[in-house]
Amino acid sequence: MKCLLIASESAEVLFQWTDTEFQQNVQEQYGASQEEGHGLPAFEDSISTLFAPIIISCSTMVDRLSDSYTSFTTENNHIYILHQFDECLYIAVNGDGEEGEGDLRRKIYVMKKMIEVMFGMVTLSSNLLRRELRPQDTEQRARLWKHLQSLLETYSQLRENDQSFLVEAVERLIHPTLCEQCIEFLERRLVQQLNGSVERAGEEVLHAFILIHTKLLAFYSSRNASSLSTSDLLTLIIMAQNMYPSNIDLDDPHPEDVESTSGSGPDSFYTPEPSPTDRDSSSSADKPVRGSTPVFEFVDPDVQMAEDSLQALEVPPPAPSTPRRVFLEVSLKDGLYPMMPHSMYCLPLWPGISLVMLTKIPTSAVAMSVYMFLEAFAKLEKRLSEGQEGSAATRGQPTIHDVRSKLDKFIKALGPSEIQSAQLQNVWTEFKNRAFSRGGPGFNRDLIPWCKNMKTQLCGIYRQCFLIESGKADIPQRLSPSLQERAQTMMQEKLMDWKDFLLVKSKRNITMVSYLEDFPGLIHFICVDRSTGQMIAPSLNITERNTSELGKGPVAQFIKSKVWSLVSTTRRYLQKGYSTVTLRDGDFYFCYFLWFENETGYKLEAGDIPILPDESAPIGMLAWDYYRKLLRYYSKNHQGEVVKCYELLTVHLGVIPTDIILQHCRQLASKLWEPSRNPLL
Amino acid sequence: MAELVPPDSRRCNYFFLYDGSKVKGEGDATREGICYFYPEETPLDKQELLCGQLAGAGRCVSELSASPVRILRLRCTKFAIRMKDDFFWALGCSAEVPTISACELLDQLINLFCFYNGSVRQSYQLYSQETLAARWAQYLSHLQSGSSKLQHIFSCLRTIDSTNVDPLLLLKAALILQACQRCPLVLAGCVLFRGRVVSTQMSPELTMKVMVHESETYTKAPSTFSSFGGAVSSTTVFLTMPELQYLQSAPVDKDFSSHPTPHKNTPQKKTRLSRTLSDTPSAESEPSDTGSSQSPLKGSFSPALSDSSVFSPDPLDPPPQPLQPPFPNGKHSPEAEEEALEESYYYRFHSNEGGVSRLHDEGDSPFEENSYLNGGGGRGDGGAACGAAFDFRGAEESHHDPVFTKEASGGGRESVQGRQAEMPDAPPGSGASDSPEECPLVPMTLYLHRVNGLVLALLVEPHFLSDTASMEEVYHSSLASLNGLEAHLRTICPGAPDAPGPYIFAHFDCIQSTLTTNLSGRPGGAPERPFVRATSLLHSHFCNTETLQEAIIRSAGAAVYGSRSVAQETYFQQHGGSLRNSGVPNHQDSAFLLPSKARHRLLKHGVNLL
Repeated sequence: MKCLLIASESAEVLFQWTDTEFQQNVQEQYGASQEEGHGLPAFEDSISTLFAPIIISCSTMVDRLSDSYTSFTTENNHIYILHQFDECLYIAVNGDGEEGEGDLRRKIYVMKKMIEVMFGMVTLSSNLLRRELRPQDTEQRARLWKHLQSLLETYSQLRENDQSFLVEAVERLIHPTLCEQCIEFLERRLVQQLNGSVERAGEEVLHAFILIHTKLLAFYSSRNASSLSTSDLLTLIIMAQNMYPSNIDLDDPHPEDVESTSGSGPDSFYTPEPSPTDRDSSSSADKPVRGSTPVFEFVDPDVQMAEDSLQALEVPPPAPSTPRRVFLEVSLKDGLYPMMPHSMYCLPLWPGISLVMLTKIPTSAVAMSVYMFLEAFAKLEKRLSEGQEGSAATRGQPTIHDVRSKLDKFIKALGPSEIQSAQLQNVWTEFKNRAFSRGGPGFNRDLIPWCKNMKTQLCGIYRQCFLIESGKADIPQRLSPSLQERAQTMMQEKLMDWKDFLLVKSKRNITMVSYLEDFPGLIHFICVDRSTGQMIAPSLNITERNTSELGKGPVAQFIKSKVWSLVSTTRRYLQKGYSTVTLRDGDFYFCYFLWFENETGYKLEAGDIPILPDESAPIGMLAWDYYRKLLRYYSKNHQGEVVKCYELLTVHLGVIPTDIILQHCRQLASKLWEPSRNPLL
Repeated sequence: MAELVPPDSRRCNYFFLYDGSKVKGEGDATREGICYFYPEETPLDKQELLCGQLAGAGRCVSELSASPVRILRLRCTKFAIRMKDDFFWALGCSAEVPTISACELLDQLINLFCFYNGSVRQSYQLYSQETLAARWAQYLSHLQSGSSKLQHIFSCLRTIDSTNVDPLLLLKAALILQACQRCPLVLAGCVLFRGRVVSTQMSPELTMKVMVHESETYTKAPSTFSSFGGAVSSTTVFLTMPELQYLQSAPVDKDFSSHPTPHKNTPQKKTRLSRTLSDTPSAESEPSDTGSSQSPLKGSFSPALSDSSVFSPDPLDPPPQPLQPPFPNGKHSPEAEEEALEESYYYRFHSNEGGVSRLHDEGDSPFEENSYLNGGGGRGDGGAACGAAFDFRGAEESHHDPVFTKEASGGGRESVQGRQAEMPDAPPGSGASDSPEECPLVPMTLYLHRVNGLVLALLVEPHFLSDTASMEEVYHSSLASLNGLEAHLRTICPGAPDAPGPYIFAHFDCIQSTLTTNLSGRPGGAPERPFVRATSLLHSHFCNTETLQEAIIRSAGAAVYGSRSVAQETYFQQHGGSLRNSGVPNHQDSAFLLPSKARHRLLKHGVNLL
């Protein structure tokens, strides 16, 4: 019995996902009165009616008590988690005991992350986001919701079954030679060819990677590209899985295949040359935003700029070669730019194997400008609402006068394009009159609504630029289908001989067998390098037909559930500042360690770990990168040093003496990462 | 807001009872439904807001899930909720309080109310809202008063510090209770001293309820019986059916008193048993057991004797000293008292070795003590008259004790375990036994006999009060012993708190609901805070994970070890040592030595971790 709901403050449902059980429950409660009304609208109505009192009560509490509900638990252990992001209230419900409070909160944050990746900076304006999430057109809404629902289901499925989504770090396929070959191939052949082609329509391939199910075989970033954050990469893997789901039960490895993979124990564990990192990423970013006149190659005269007339646009079901627009974080020399537009091409090579390419679109400089302006207005608004006035409110970088001249130029540049910028111009003129004119009110509280208005207008421009498909454009904004096809074929040829091996290998990446001799009594472990967002763990395949070392069926299932609950337990302790946890639970002994090292592998002293409230963002890397914040926090006392963060979880048999268990942990910790110090990304 | 309790140590920030049945129509004001709101000085519009919103949202959720809401959380406050009929209780705590403790507190509060007032609905029909508001306030302040954060985590019973008290006195208290139970109208009782339990025959939950009335009468003097000199009072209370059955299931003879007293843990049996055996002479000072059967002395002694030789007693051998005469004014010096007790213990022990016949001869010294104990009470009734016969009866009975102690405590533990084992079936925190309104409440009477700081509280059948003979019997049979016990307990100084040792520990006995710790009760100690925080986290974890036995958790500042079994939870933190560590797995890390250190260090506190 599960449900996830996004509602506006006025109790309008912006998105809903329920499992059939929940749906039945709602229909039983509500259905008696309106039996014939089945189908989406009726269900949507009933769910909104049922939740309305909670949603309204929630906003009353915020208004009058500046506090709001974070959770409800009933006597039959139904859990309701509530979280408000700006004006959107997320409610996640579980009534079957399969998810705990932490899982539900995580689901909410993951949902928000996916919406951000899909809608970018439009999410910064609640007003625009509401329209985006709930298109007027029912069919379009159904299509959008269905897409979001299936993303959510894919995520839940991965979180429940895939260790890399359990700990939220990327798992690589351990085959160094092949990995190296592939990286080379991606660099020298594929990306070079694509970026040299005229058919790329101004797009530039920045990243290309090969996924075997959810595992990464090879990852290549071009020299111009900034590094891809783990959070974004994990989200992209979910999207790729959603497009081409891999049916876990389908592939049943043959015994001889297993034989060939079990040799890759810890000994053969090493990584090829690192792919180029963001060392040279500045070349494109350094292009001054100010001077460049954005070129808008697509035309959409129907777009109304007036905020209240934003029409839901007809979005045709995407053709296979149509890329997905994704908004990813870009880190450049001059700072971090969240939600920069990219196109994502996911090319299936074979079932379970796909090539993903991320391209920079030609107009992406506009996004940077918009972000810079948005940030400036947000800062100003914050200062004004704190009661600062006049020059106190406008200090800081960039100066308000800087912003003024840049924005003037920006609007001017928009003028000749197809972007509807009249409204922005009007609001900006009004803003300038109030803020800068001599007799005007100047910088005080009265300017706050105008700051808000400016932000909305800027988000509107962003939406026009990056979210609306240029259906009627003469030149489609994408790598041409033939170019995509070529890339696909090239990659297929390259991996043809490896394909079957890779599919098996992805199931048996590393196996416990190779550890049993050195670590008697060890049942399972997970090791995570949080600085690079990578994890290593023996595979835990729990399918009917697959037999792992853990055996089949209930025992394996039991151990899997123990591992899953261990992860959530240790996260709870980590949230409260505990970085070492050992537990004797039933017949098992669990250990968890988190520690810091510098680049040379020297173990740094354990520092204070912040204590967070219960309802804070979930600990992980997918929806909200806790570890990045932790590293930043810890590095304050280690200036000038590169700090790395590692985690180790182990499951031992309880009969093994604690001393031995701890020795095992120590050996694992030092052994596992030794050959693989090279960053993956 | 004028608060007596600093907000830091307050267990609850909000508590309210809202009656939804009074706010049904559109026009009804929310305030009509507010039965009680704490803190009382909260502006009415805020009261209305909280009651209205929480009750409304709570009802909505409970309709969606077809089950009442149990916990509701805001960003800064967590509320334990109870929804019953149209009533909506909410108790708000700060976010650090373990959820399970918040729920326990609310249940305690509601159960307390029902214990003294009967069903909530009925109470609100019978009494004015103001009267009942005063009661809620009273119960709430009782539950919040003066205990440390650690005690809040475990919702434990406050007992006298048994490390400072001679075990003889505990036994004495137990015997007083047993003696009272001879009256068939007496169900069970407990002996309290200055708001702390000395001995009890009731479940911890029930004892906790009884203690509220005790602390109330300590300040006020309610209905008393003039014939008993104002020391005796009574009030009507309401028991739930399971509570009553539990009390009635125990045969009156059965010595329950020994099980709820602290320091009766299984691992300690040996020493204690022998001690109890050798303690027997003190029981001879019980002149109270009139009219019960006596078995032949020799017969009852011999098995006990053989026992005592097997269990070698403490080598406690103070040089024999002549007994000092009692002070002329009838009071005696505490030292003399103590020595007298020790003396008798010594003689008795040695006489035991000498054989039964000699025991008889040596019976002099307890005799003497007995006589002046009675004299000390200032009321000679029964003292001299009881004479030797009673004296030896007492001795005989306490010789039975060790055997009973073993059995009864074992049995008691088992039954409590049995009940706990049933609990997990019900959703956590909503134990079937603690919903008082589901089963009918049976009116009973709580009888209180106060001697200064000491109180004998008995749960009796309602017609006990009209049965003058029984009442007098109970009164007179216990009076002298109570006086004696009070005199002893009064002289025990609270004992300087242990010098903050190199470690902190907390040991919670789940069966008796008692907490032993070397942590001072006062809040604010900086080194204590990490320990309390870790304990609260681990306690929640233990409560949620049945299979968890041991845990070590470490933050940058502190490593805490927790261990639990069915009967107990123990938490231990070692100060000092090399805290500098990298957090990387290392078997030489001091944190992993905690289990063995705890085993070692805690032995001297009577905590045995196997």
